[in-house]
Amino acid sequence: MQNDTLSILAEADRLNAKVFSLVRLKLLASLAALGPDGATYRELKAALNINDGVLFANLNVLKDMGYLTSEKITSEGKELELYTITTEGQDEWKRTRTWLCRFLHCGV
Amino acid sequence: MDRRKKVIAFFKVLGFNFDISKFDDRLIAQKLVCLLEFRGIDLGYSCSLYVRGPYSPDLTQDLFAFTREFEEMETGARLTAEEKEAADDLGRIFGLKPVTLEVGATYGYYTVRQKSDPLEASRQVRRLKPFYSEAQVALGISKAKEYLFRPTRKDLEDLKKETAIWQRASLKSLEN
Repeated sequence: MQNDTLSILAEADRLNAKVFSLVRLKLLASLAALGPDGATYRELKAALNINDGVLFANLNVLKDMGYLTSEKITSEGKELELYTITTEGQDEWKRTRTWLCRFLHCGV
Repeated sequence: MDRRKKVIAFFKVLGFNFDISKFDDRLIAQKLVCLLEFRGIDLGYSCSLYVRGPYSPDLTQDLFAFTREFEEMETGARLTAEEKEAADDLGRIFGLKPVTLEVGATYGYYTVRQKSDPLEASRQVRRLKPFYSEAQVALGISKAKEYLFRPTRKDLEDLKKETAIWQRASLKSLEN
């Protein structure tokens, strides 16, 4: 069992430690489910209940890491910022999720 | 038949010319499918709650994987009488207005799927969609009620009984 735990912990070296903040995990999980459709800034803010400063800063960190892209779109005549997860973001989210599941013994 | 073909048949009846590059069109597609599901028309794209409100990631996958079929309305599927009625009502009550559909679908999710009472459902809509005005939310909720909760024969009879006294009085006043 200890060996198993050690190997699971060792696998964590392959993950991006910068993803491990609650806000970033929430953002990646939310946007991964929407795929290429993405979500607007205001939708993320309302649904995840994150204040502007924290949300904006964390979206930018994820963008800088290449996990998200953003673009201006128009909806009902209003200009909005749309955030979409990239392939790298999807891959990182899958790796993180799989590892967390192993770490927490999901389904065991 | 493939589930997306049925969705395309609904789009056709609704006169919805889907364009994948438009955010509003992708939103309309999602909310139409969810509202139909909440009305009892299961198209095989299960809607759950995401940051975008009621939403089907499976539908998103198909919209992007089979874009041409959706944009050119390629389908051999036909709607049953019940499906046609649901589509006609959807078009008549909501039209293809993104905000109204979004508010209506969110309200529908809470009342139909979560079995929330109307007050709680309205509260949840306002929490998830604070960027819409009170008027937009009220309109969307009112449309959702009209679309999802059709009065039964008993409801209509009860209503008739309740209003009969007023009707009689009003007729009497016309006679005098």
